[in-house]
Amino acid sequence: MKKLTSLVLALLMIVACFAFASCGENEEKNANELVIGGIGPLTGAYANYGNSVKNGAEIAVAEINARGGINGFTIKLDFQDSVGNPESAVAAYGKLMDDGMMVSLGCVLSGENASVVAAAKEDGILLLTPSASADNAIVDNDAAFRVCFSDSSQGIAAADYIGANNLPKKIAIFYQADIDYSNGLREAFLSKVADNGIEIVAEESFTTDTASDFSTQITAIQTSGAEMIFMPIYADEASTFLTQAQGKFDESMLYFGCDGLDGILGKVADPALCENVLLLTPFAADEPKELVQNFVAAYKEKTGGATPDQFAADGYDAVYAIKAAMEKADITPESQADFNKRIVEAMTQITVEGVTGNMSWEASGETVKLPLVMIIKSGVAQLYTAE
Amino acid sequence: MSLFFQTLISGLNLGSIYALIALGYTMVYGIAKMLNFAHGDVIMIGAYSVIVTVSSLGLPPVIAILIGIAFCALLGVSIEFLAYKPLRKASSLAVLITAIGVSYFLQNIAQLIFGTQQLAFPKIINLDAIKIGSVQIDGITLVTLCVTAVIMVLLTLFINFTKIGKAMRAVSEDKEAAELMGISTNRTISVTFAIGSALAMIASLFYGATYTYIKPTTGSMPGIKAFTAAVFGGIGSIPGAMLGGIMLGIIEQYSKAYISTTMSDAIVFGVLILVLLVKPTGLLGKKISEKV
Amino acid sequence: MAKKNFNNALKKAFSKDALTIYLVVAIYAVISIMLYGDLASRQLTNMLISVSCYIVLAVSLNLVVGLLGELSLGHAGFMSVGLFSGCLFSMWTVDLIPMLYIRLPLAMIFGGLFAAIVGFVVGLPALRLKGDYLAIVTLACGEIIKNIITNLEITGGALGLTTTNSGSYIYSKPKVLLPYAIVLVLITVVVMMNIKKSRHGRAIMAIRDNRIAAEATGVNVTYYKLIVFVLAAFFAGAAGVLYGHSFANIKPAVFNYNMSIEILVIVVLGGMGSINGSIIAAIALKALPEMLRGLDKYRMLIYSIVLIVVMLLNSNQKFIEFKSKFSFKSLLKMKKKSKKEEISNEQ
Repeated sequence: MKKLTSLVLALLMIVACFAFASCGENEEKNANELVIGGIGPLTGAYANYGNSVKNGAEIAVAEINARGGINGFTIKLDFQDSVGNPESAVAAYGKLMDDGMMVSLGCVLSGENASVVAAAKEDGILLLTPSASADNAIVDNDAAFRVCFSDSSQGIAAADYIGANNLPKKIAIFYQADIDYSNGLREAFLSKVADNGIEIVAEESFTTDTASDFSTQITAIQTSGAEMIFMPIYADEASTFLTQAQGKFDESMLYFGCDGLDGILGKVADPALCENVLLLTPFAADEPKELVQNFVAAYKEKTGGATPDQFAADGYDAVYAIKAAMEKADITPESQADFNKRIVEAMTQITVEGVTGNMSWEASGETVKLPLVMIIKSGVAQLYTAE
Repeated sequence: MSLFFQTLISGLNLGSIYALIALGYTMVYGIAKMLNFAHGDVIMIGAYSVIVTVSSLGLPPVIAILIGIAFCALLGVSIEFLAYKPLRKASSLAVLITAIGVSYFLQNIAQLIFGTQQLAFPKIINLDAIKIGSVQIDGITLVTLCVTAVIMVLLTLFINFTKIGKAMRAVSEDKEAAELMGISTNRTISVTFAIGSALAMIASLFYGATYTYIKPTTGSMPGIKAFTAAVFGGIGSIPGAMLGGIMLGIIEQYSKAYISTTMSDAIVFGVLILVLLVKPTGLLGKKISEKV
Repeated sequence: MAKKNFNNALKKAFSKDALTIYLVVAIYAVISIMLYGDLASRQLTNMLISVSCYIVLAVSLNLVVGLLGELSLGHAGFMSVGLFSGCLFSMWTVDLIPMLYIRLPLAMIFGGLFAAIVGFVVGLPALRLKGDYLAIVTLACGEIIKNIITNLEITGGALGLTTTNSGSYIYSKPKVLLPYAIVLVLITVVVMMNIKKSRHGRAIMAIRDNRIAAEATGVNVTYYKLIVFVLAAFFAGAAGVLYGHSFANIKPAVFNYNMSIEILVIVVLGGMGSINGSIIAAIALKALPEMLRGLDKYRMLIYSIVLIVVMLLNSNQKFIEFKSKFSFKSLLKMKKKSKKEEISNEQ
């Protein structure tokens, strides 16, 4: 039995060696094709995030190709699965480079993006991550940019907004203790609590492994006397929380979330559950802007009725940002010399009107755009106006 | 004091779900001597089956539940037939790895069919919450507790007094001797898988109703916890699985309420280790004396 | 006399252990030529270090599962203890010892020792428990380790450890790390091989086959059980340190029971107690999902089906007979010799 196993495995290994050595060499490259690569978890526990980005980006690619592409290029999107693991993400990056990737959408999750950004340092390739928001996700590589806000800027913006507007100051924080997004926001928020006269009356948390049952946390927040809950978490967990909290809190209770809550109206079983949810976000699927509504309609058509979340919107905008940079740098199939250098330089000179607002980029890779504050009333998100 | 009782109720609720899943683990282990790591994913499939029958096809809940139970029982039997039966004579580790493969397979097939976004579990049990003093008990919690209690009594009666139940005990005690007595081992194992998977389906019903959303990876953590519960109670022992499941649920909720929500899993597992150090074969496990 | 010596030398040079070493050296020689000659694909390059780590993990877990016969589902926990302690050590000393060829081995030893201490603690229950009860305790320990590290501030908590911060920059490219990976794999393989062959290895296997009989013949069961856990944890920790240096950001949540199970799958697939089996299985099992990338969304589904089919085929009597007719050894007409070897192995 041992012999047999090793024989089968040895054969597999030999095949593997050949497969690795040969791939990337005999691939016919089409000079008119702009290969954009993306990496994210398409399977496993975080698969919903990766698939959202992939769907959003695919819609943008289809739209651009239907209108004749960019400067004579047609876009080919190659999106690879990372299962949410840096190890697999870095291998996927190698595979994409072998297959002639010209621009990268980085990775969906922050941890894997940081590793790919480091591995890509000498390649000089443009890495525009849609959604890797952790502060350290784009450091140490001048060609790394992101579409979303960084975690610390969002946490600070949330605290400042609460301080500047007539919102309750007795706040409970409900966060996910084992993911970087939630922790990054929470830490930045806490750093600005004193400046804004906020009183934290309770801090409740959960982990990925315990994300199904929030009954004890809800009980604790009930007894804490909080008037508003700050929820720096994602829409999936937030919808579970709101559903389980149904009828447990006072009707005046407010819920304050950031861009992670985007698309929550489409995720809950009943829109009434989202009453009084405030969102500090650059994207809201209910925004009446034509651009946003077209995107939401296209996304629903593609996915069979799902509402796009922050990940999908960021993926969509990332592709349009690449288009803008390509046009700014005036890269055409005939003039491709210094491709990477020219497109990276163009990144800081462009302004893009996307579904997540009007964006421009700093040399550090951070995006500059204005977040909106929306409030959900009777199942509809509307701009929040402080009373 | 209200927090104490509220936590007790939610602990019993969670523990009942663990117990129902753990029963499947422990029955299969007792008879086939294998750890069925794919058991947790049967829960997930069961929950999706309810979503399909109730939300998409609009069938009444009772029929949907019956279809779901039949479907899961069939699924359990077919998994056993296709993946585990050919390995009857192989080492238990080979079976374990195959079970892990089956678990990956079920998760990925669910993802291909239902997508990666979480789906809302339909409200099939509508009961008003009742209040005792300041303690609020949800309708679904009441149903979970009652149904679990009934199932446990029925299962105990089934194992002890029916012909198939006796055959199961016989196979678990001594396979060869049972075969000599004219018991079909294969049939008994199939029945065990069918019952275990049907129980998983019922667990998925309560899981979905209490925790409201279902993803392709939903089953893995309750699966692991239920496995822990089965070992905690003494793997192979049916009352052990019940006790282990309920204890685990209560410990988990109390550590969340009184100690730390982020460390609750560490505390649960820590208690498990301590208990096993004192009682190395679990709470109600048989002490096997070693022969030289 | 001279002829006898020559024969002995020949026997030694073609012994199974020597062949294992040749296998490792040959694989790494080919890979080094490819990597430093810029012939390797980027995908292969980016996988080299992590696959090497998995080889070390699988070979060291084989000591627990294959030799001692105890099921351990917490190997990823040892790896993460070694990874975080070793990488922190490396980050603190990066200014003091800028030379990687001194700092990295020191960090590996430091991380390995830390993991070994945890391995000792986890090994203590193994003295009282066995079988599935021990398996669940190791799983529980792995989860507890994950939980604790996620809540530690020093390791960056849930944000993970970032190795590319200025001032504590320890991240390195595969081209830099490969020599360390080769040395670590070789050391692990040689140590494990020698343990297996030695008096100690026979004592460990005696415990596996019959604990009471082993105890009766004077084998110190407590000592050997602990030493096995400590050694396995040490190498897992050292591999973790290397792993940590090859990524810019590492989160404790990655090292959950799923990863432990993945390592166990490698060991079982490669064959219990077989060192070269573990090596080949680690390479094959890590390469398989990468090779299946062309299948798009069916990738992990096909992977799981392959896993099930391989396990089923391995236990199918007819398939074994069919395959044995076409095995390397029968083709080389070495059947007689291999039978002899098998008998000596079984002893």
